[in-house]
Amino acid sequence: MVDFVGKDILRVDAFDKALGSILYGPDQNIEGALWLLAKRSPYPHARILSIDTSQAETIDGVVRIFTAADIPGENSFGIIPVTKDQTLLAKDKVRYIGDAVALVAAYDLKSAKEAVDKIKVNYEELPAIYDPEESLKKGRILIHEKGNLLCSSRIIKGDIEKGFSNADIIIEREYRTSRLEHLSLEPEGGIGYFEDGRIVIIASTQNPHYDRDDVARLLGLSPDKVRVIQCGTGGGFGGKLDISVQGFIGLAVYHLKRAVRMVYSREESFLTTAKRHPLIMRYKTGAKKDGKLTAVKVDIIGDTGAYASYGLAVIMRATVHATGPYEVENVYVDGKMAYTNLPWCGAMRGFGVPQIAFAHESQMDILAHELNIDPIDIRLINAFKKGSVTATGQRLDHSVGIKESLYKIKEIRDKYSWSKKKGERLGTYIGVGVGSMWYGIGNTGVPNPSTAQVELLPDGSAILYTGAAEIGQGSDTILLQIASQRLGIAIDRIKLVRGDTLYTTNAGATSASRQTYISGNAVMDSIDHLEDILKAEASEQMDLPSSELIVKDGKIFSIKDSSKSIDIFELVKICNKNKVRVIGEGRFDPPTIKLDPETGQGVPYATYAFASQVSRVEVDTFTGFIKVLNSASAHDVGKAINPKMVKGQITSGVAMGIGMALMEEFVPNKTKSLKDYYIPTSMDMPEIIPIIVEDKEPTGPFGAKGVGEPALIPTAPAIINGIYDAVGVRITHLPANLERVIGELLKKEGA
Amino acid sequence: MKKFDYLKPTSLDEVFSLMEKFGSNAKLIAGGTDVMVLLKRKRIFPDVLISLRSVPNMAYIKDEKDKIRIGSMTTHRELETSTVIKEKLTALYDAVINLGSVQIRNVATIGGNIANAAPSADTACPLLVLDASCLLISSKGEREVELKDFFIAPGETVMKQDEILKEFIIPKPSKLSGSAYWKLSRRKAMDLPILGVAISLAMNEDKSIKKARIGLGVAAPTPIRAFKAEEFLTGKFLTDEVLAEAGNIASKEASPRDSIRGEAWYRREMIRVLTKRVATISFKRANIV
Repeated sequence: MVDFVGKDILRVDAFDKALGSILYGPDQNIEGALWLLAKRSPYPHARILSIDTSQAETIDGVVRIFTAADIPGENSFGIIPVTKDQTLLAKDKVRYIGDAVALVAAYDLKSAKEAVDKIKVNYEELPAIYDPEESLKKGRILIHEKGNLLCSSRIIKGDIEKGFSNADIIIEREYRTSRLEHLSLEPEGGIGYFEDGRIVIIASTQNPHYDRDDVARLLGLSPDKVRVIQCGTGGGFGGKLDISVQGFIGLAVYHLKRAVRMVYSREESFLTTAKRHPLIMRYKTGAKKDGKLTAVKVDIIGDTGAYASYGLAVIMRATVHATGPYEVENVYVDGKMAYTNLPWCGAMRGFGVPQIAFAHESQMDILAHELNIDPIDIRLINAFKKGSVTATGQRLDHSVGIKESLYKIKEIRDKYSWSKKKGERLGTYIGVGVGSMWYGIGNTGVPNPSTAQVELLPDGSAILYTGAAEIGQGSDTILLQIASQRLGIAIDRIKLVRGDTLYTTNAGATSASRQTYISGNAVMDSIDHLEDILKAEASEQMDLPSSELIVKDGKIFSIKDSSKSIDIFELVKICNKNKVRVIGEGRFDPPTIKLDPETGQGVPYATYAFASQVSRVEVDTFTGFIKVLNSASAHDVGKAINPKMVKGQITSGVAMGIGMALMEEFVPNKTKSLKDYYIPTSMDMPEIIPIIVEDKEPTGPFGAKGVGEPALIPTAPAIINGIYDAVGVRITHLPANLERVIGELLKKEGA
Repeated sequence: MKKFDYLKPTSLDEVFSLMEKFGSNAKLIAGGTDVMVLLKRKRIFPDVLISLRSVPNMAYIKDEKDKIRIGSMTTHRELETSTVIKEKLTALYDAVINLGSVQIRNVATIGGNIANAAPSADTACPLLVLDASCLLISSKGEREVELKDFFIAPGETVMKQDEILKEFIIPKPSKLSGSAYWKLSRRKAMDLPILGVAISLAMNEDKSIKKARIGLGVAAPTPIRAFKAEEFLTGKFLTDEVLAEAGNIASKEASPRDSIRGEAWYRREMIRVLTKRVATISFKRANIV
């Protein structure tokens, strides 16, 4: 009996990655490929009066220059079908510094750069808006014709005023977060060429099927005329969900019918790809003396920058998760997303939940201190349990591991006696903070199916076909482990065909922590189907009704007489001889109920991940420097298909969370590259204790849910609450950088 | 990046003749961790890079009777692993162990760090407070310039076009003296200082201060000494009040600016804080019983 699920299988791509033999987007090249480079807007908001490419076209080495007029299809794209508002090449207007206005194809990058400099664009500057609240005021200049409000989202449950009148204590605070850059290992890049009547694009992406559809739409082609192949992707974090080079490559290949190549420089990647949405979150939280929450009212304003991207999904997810993983009878959440003339924001690991968790967990911490209750206990008092009803009216019947995660971190905290004390150096203090989170797996209240196929071959091996993009998170390995376990075939006997729109079907995006749960289930479903096919064939061969057959240990047995059996690969041989391939087709769409547009009531997700973290930090009260000393995170993942990889995700989430908590801030028009954007290094890492909690999800593959984004979410709150514990100042604006910490300490001293 | 020739002379004479031949079209390169960035960012456009890497006898740490000599081509890693530096020039040791990463320290040289004349050069403050001099040589001869007189502006020094920085001459610290450097940055590796403060103190037997040196990095257009604060400290005993006042004076001597790396008010505040902290460490290192 093979046993692959729950085992620390080595990642299937480990050797290739270690040996450097995987080609990432910027590594892709074809002999003779033309270089593509975009001409970009220097203004945050301006009307385009004219574009003159005549001088640029005379440069040796320039093959062609494209403008909006060359786009044969719809010059608008965007990942959410109802908000496709981004132009590939700006037509009338530019809306942020970096908007593309023209595209150069040249024999070499040097000529392309020269041509970009020589393209003359005549602009009429327009007043720009940089503040989302300013943007929503009446009478402001419009960034988009339909208005500056991208979307809003509301959750109403119970009677909010009654909730506050029943409260013994009410805490009101405002929280803010910053724009963040994903900073994948490699910037965006890829190649394209024309083959068999199709435009082929090989690029780093999180979402090959979406890329195909939106490129086809830009070019006015049917999707089967575009083939997207996902190449090695060293990281996405949401930043490679939108199309970047793909649209430009598609446009050039459409016109030139020859190979092209486009690679963003790190600076271009900083300037022109999505960022994390900064949110302003105004919280009013009511509780009884015993810590029990009575009401939560939240007002959220987000800044989506110049374009929609995933803005709608981020504000919906932020509102749905605004209570935190706690029972609250009375809830009123109002979220708005506004356009500004700043770099556009999109998906980034957590879709608004890392921001909102910082706010709701700060509120819980304040309550704990005000009411003199242990911060872990106040969470236990309020935490969801089986049977709890969420703010959207969803009853949680299974896999609610939040309390278990709190018990686990309490154990660690108490075992190592982590508590507030003075640090060794004069002026340093150590504190301990707690953060919890919940995270809905998959897209919010909308269908987001995955599909997969599994084929058996007569030599005893199998092929798994999946559209699920591997972006470093490990879906290749996880899906193979699931297939291997379910088929009873060793993992090295299953070939993986992944992320090629010609050979695989849509698995949806690698986002929303959804691939293990949703694509994992699609793989399970395809094997169910495969077994039906085999049973049907066996039924003929064995002359028994299908209903009397079972599949076990690679054979099909009669239920009534176990001496009657046939090997499944014998059946495959028979089928193949009859020119029939044995392929199981699978599909899974998590059961959700669309949220009511007025009240937000519904079932946004089929299942949720839960987590809690305790972090121990040292604050240097003289310099404001925060050192994270230790961190323990307990994550309810349902079932860890590969525990080692789950721990890897948890560890990476803490690393990324330290950046979000303490140093990362993309300042529009100032931050240019890695020289002025700080992410933590290995030297900044604390001891990290990853803990797996397994409260099995009955609808998940082997009980699994997801961990990709949850891993990040509790980190910033735990650190910020740790700072408060150490020195009594509350940072309400992320990141808690040196200046903010010292600023707050000086304010406290002055008071 | 512009095309350029890369020349690798094997003697100082050859270096001088190449410098004469190419004049201002040539740029000297040591470890390359600054020059290559300047090239890629199109801040400099030399026709020729003259590498000092193959010139013999340019990398050394010589522990002489009353001086320590450091060859300009000595890498930060060599300094970091030298017991002479670790034990005798503690402020410099503090600086080199926190510069960039091991990979960068393996190639970056101390001569390059100083000749590049960035206000954020980590080794500048320690060398300033250790009273280092620079030995400049050309085909015509050599001269010694005290480091405090070396920097003119960001990227600008007193070096003439035909001169190269050969070595640093550092008087051996006296007994009852100690030095330290504090690099304030947002993370613990791969980062430039938001502010750098180095202090060396030579003490009298009675625990009063005989001689004080304070060096500040990223506090002005070039690395600077806080002369007034030094003068204030001379003859005084290290009390909290004295240290606080020294910090105030040093802070006033500085002219930090707002930048994406850090805000001016914060830098000014931190000069106060770190003067006190670094002086305390230096005093401890002076080992007065």
